[in-house]
Amino acid sequence: MHEKKLSHRMKAFFSKPSNILLVIFLTVLFVLSVLPLLTMISNMFTVHIGTEKKLLRLPEGSFTWNHFQRLFPVSEWSVVNFWKPLGNSFVVAIGAGVLGILIGGTVAWFITRSNMKYKKFISAVFVFPYMMPAWTLALFWINVFKNSQVGGGNVGMLESMFGICMPEWFVYGLFPMVIVIALHYSPFAYLLIGGILKNMDATLEESATILKAGRFKIIRRITMPIVMPAILSTFLLIFSSGFSSYTVPVFLGSAVKTFTLSTKMRALINAGYQGQGYIIAFVSIALGCFILGLNQWVTGKRKSYTTVTGKSGQVSLVDLKKANTPLSLLLCAYVLFFAIAPLISFALESVIRQPGNYHLSNMTLHFWIGTEASAYETGMISGILLNPTMWKALGRQVLLALIVAMIVGTSGMLIGYSCVRQRGSRLSRWVESMAFFPYLMPAMAFGTIYLAVATSQGFKFLYGTFALLILVASIKFLPFASRSGINSMLQISPEIEEAAMVVGVPWWKRMVRIMFPIQKSSILSGYLLPVISVMREVALFTLLVPYARYLLTTMLFSFNETGYSQYGSAVTLLIVLIIILINTLTNKLTGASFDKGIGG
Amino acid sequence: MPHISLEHITKRFGKFVAVDDLDLEIDDRGFITLLGPSGCGKTTTLRMIAGLETPTEGRITLDGKVVFDADKGINIPPAARDIGFLFQNYALWPHMTVYQNIAFGLENLKWSKQDIRKRVDELLALLKIEDFEKRYPSELSGGQQQRVAIARTLAPSPKVLFMDEPLSNLDAKLRQEMRTELKRLHSDTNSTFVYVTHDQLEAMTLSTKVCLMNNGVLQQYAPPLTVYNEPANRFVAEFVGNPTMNFVPAQFVSGEGEQAVLRLFGREVRFTARGPIASHGGELTVGIRPEFLPIEADGVIQGIAYSTLPSGMETTVKALVDGVMLTSVVFGSVDYPVDAPIRMNIRGDGIILFDEPGGRQIAIGSLAL
Repeated sequence: MHEKKLSHRMKAFFSKPSNILLVIFLTVLFVLSVLPLLTMISNMFTVHIGTEKKLLRLPEGSFTWNHFQRLFPVSEWSVVNFWKPLGNSFVVAIGAGVLGILIGGTVAWFITRSNMKYKKFISAVFVFPYMMPAWTLALFWINVFKNSQVGGGNVGMLESMFGICMPEWFVYGLFPMVIVIALHYSPFAYLLIGGILKNMDATLEESATILKAGRFKIIRRITMPIVMPAILSTFLLIFSSGFSSYTVPVFLGSAVKTFTLSTKMRALINAGYQGQGYIIAFVSIALGCFILGLNQWVTGKRKSYTTVTGKSGQVSLVDLKKANTPLSLLLCAYVLFFAIAPLISFALESVIRQPGNYHLSNMTLHFWIGTEASAYETGMISGILLNPTMWKALGRQVLLALIVAMIVGTSGMLIGYSCVRQRGSRLSRWVESMAFFPYLMPAMAFGTIYLAVATSQGFKFLYGTFALLILVASIKFLPFASRSGINSMLQISPEIEEAAMVVGVPWWKRMVRIMFPIQKSSILSGYLLPVISVMREVALFTLLVPYARYLLTTMLFSFNETGYSQYGSAVTLLIVLIIILINTLTNKLTGASFDKGIGG
Repeated sequence: MPHISLEHITKRFGKFVAVDDLDLEIDDRGFITLLGPSGCGKTTTLRMIAGLETPTEGRITLDGKVVFDADKGINIPPAARDIGFLFQNYALWPHMTVYQNIAFGLENLKWSKQDIRKRVDELLALLKIEDFEKRYPSELSGGQQQRVAIARTLAPSPKVLFMDEPLSNLDAKLRQEMRTELKRLHSDTNSTFVYVTHDQLEAMTLSTKVCLMNNGVLQQYAPPLTVYNEPANRFVAEFVGNPTMNFVPAQFVSGEGEQAVLRLFGREVRFTARGPIASHGGELTVGIRPEFLPIEADGVIQGIAYSTLPSGMETTVKALVDGVMLTSVVFGSVDYPVDAPIRMNIRGDGIILFDEPGGRQIAIGSLAL
């Protein structure tokens, strides 16, 4: 009797497609994100083959506390390999967070609350750098400011044109890292803060006006406190992105041996100190969890900040008066500079024979279309457009992006559907948070986890395969897709599906004919986002590719490490153009676009 | 004390005219409602008086002081107009407790701490929200938020209180309750209330005078019962009253002065007006309130029951007569089967004639069938 009841209950449970989906996702996510993490944690305590084995004189795989003992207690080694990089990461993350919010918040205020001119143009171009890979700005910075006095001694644009040599701290190290990361994430701050400012109920300020509060007092006592949680949470997000940033510190730090935790992590693993590398990965994951918890605490307090949009949408805009035209033009120049100038610099850098000499006689298209016969010892046989290695790498990257987008986009949508349908159930909560879990892990650390898996007994068949890259990218980029899937499904009331259910439309048909078409634009951006993410990702893949020239982005970094800046610039330009192309195409075809996807 | 006057107030948003040449005198201690369908310009009017919106043309005088004059370029900011404003969505500051919300306006007036404490306590008691002093707005129900908003508005004792559909976010029962409270508050606070609503029942029950607007144009400005009994035009007659007034097409046959013979439902009937009929001849519409259309066994007008809507105390009966749908209200519960024959009479001296086309009211009087 009892068994029969149970089987009835099971049958009822699994008769709902959303429950079947939830069980499947729960299993898959557990296997692909929790188990690898556990594997990595166990690797923090084991001896690895190579350097560690030689150093410790213990058999491979045996238990040890040694990794911790070397990394944490203060010693010369631990300061160089852990404490200093940790401090650097904090400096970069905090600096970038503050500066990014200052830039993004200021622009947001001008666009939403003042009568500035050319708002549409500024808004559209300002978000552009966020779409480009973060390292494009880093590379741009180097192209402009490198000079004969610092680093490799190559002459940059500024020196060759005006003879100005910037000091080393300006060209390489923490200062440019802060600037570049802040510039990259300031559009993100702009979108978040601008959204709040725009949606904030104007009557909140109007009622203060009527109660005789002055303009300044309103900003201080009403506007700021209401916007504050958004600012704080933006800060935390930029902070954690800055903290885990890998590409920017690689470009701007390698030349002067300035490491952050991410770059150190890779250096340690490459040097055979896997144990310590895994510990650092764990530290940054723990920090990521902490930041997210902090974020939730900041935004989810008693004072609910849901800003109801009142009917008086007409906010009185601040009149900039005489400053309007100069300020508008200044801002236009600013956004144009950071959107266009990098591209010009890459184009320029990719055609000059001798770095630093921008004379026409020094220009060549060799790095694009040069042939084997070329006299240059380039390390490559020919220009990138004629080079089969490059085409193969590009092909792999595009294929990877498409496959990952299919997996991630579809999963995100299905997770969104099933989580929303079963909202409130324990299963749905588990799947939702587990799908978000990879977000907490810095890309570098996530790559590290999978490296640990692929090098451990029983999973060696994965090591250096394309399948491993698909797996790791799919899991890593799932959080945003599942978030947007959940958000878009929340907007559809269940009645819409139930109306079809009542007339006997089967589940798959309800999905394909009703649910998806309604949320077409947001679902498509769920597919678009992973494509762009994969096209510009480096940190996640760098430890997992079988050789550096396997993918276009990792190839770019090997150029950088070997000093072929022309090839690097050419490949960067190519990647940026591909990203722009994808975004424009999708935008034209479907109305979905990158900035809309994150703008929410 | 505060007498508000609007002269030739016009507000244009681009090409769209929100309010068109509005003249309005609001008496001291009045409870005025600005009534009309959505988009009629009532909220814009209120916001212009409060100073939150700038009129395109005209002049506004508040308490003998010109606060806005388009020609002279006078525009006094809302803070200096000595008013209170209650917003539709309450606009409570989410990051301040109930106490802080109410005290904020008094802080701006540089009141001392003790005085603020005293005044806030008074208001908390007045609105029966003493228990919520330390809570944040998100922890209150809609009705409680509403009370806090009222307390906050009343705190500096404004002479004029503007309210923009303050009850529209509440459920039906609470709305009823708050209506009672607002009317009570009006007599307690001794100030002038200007109240925006699209709910004719709210306007009828609350106000001393109703200002009915449509498409930015003033339709009628009169006490509620006058608006109900003597509507200026067909729009007013239709907008005020529930169930809606019956409109029956008719023609003038003959008559002059206060007398007229009309063709109504295919028969000739005699109409006697209270005063001279403004125009004779042609087409017209006869407006009959449901209460003037009793269902009686010896009724002259014959029709069939279309649908019966009993609500306990009274029953609304819809009947079809010559293809015209008529509504009657019967005291008590009755039920007519669908398509059953129904006989009605036209009684009372509140029968209204509207000219056609135009819909202007031309006479009020009684019909002899």
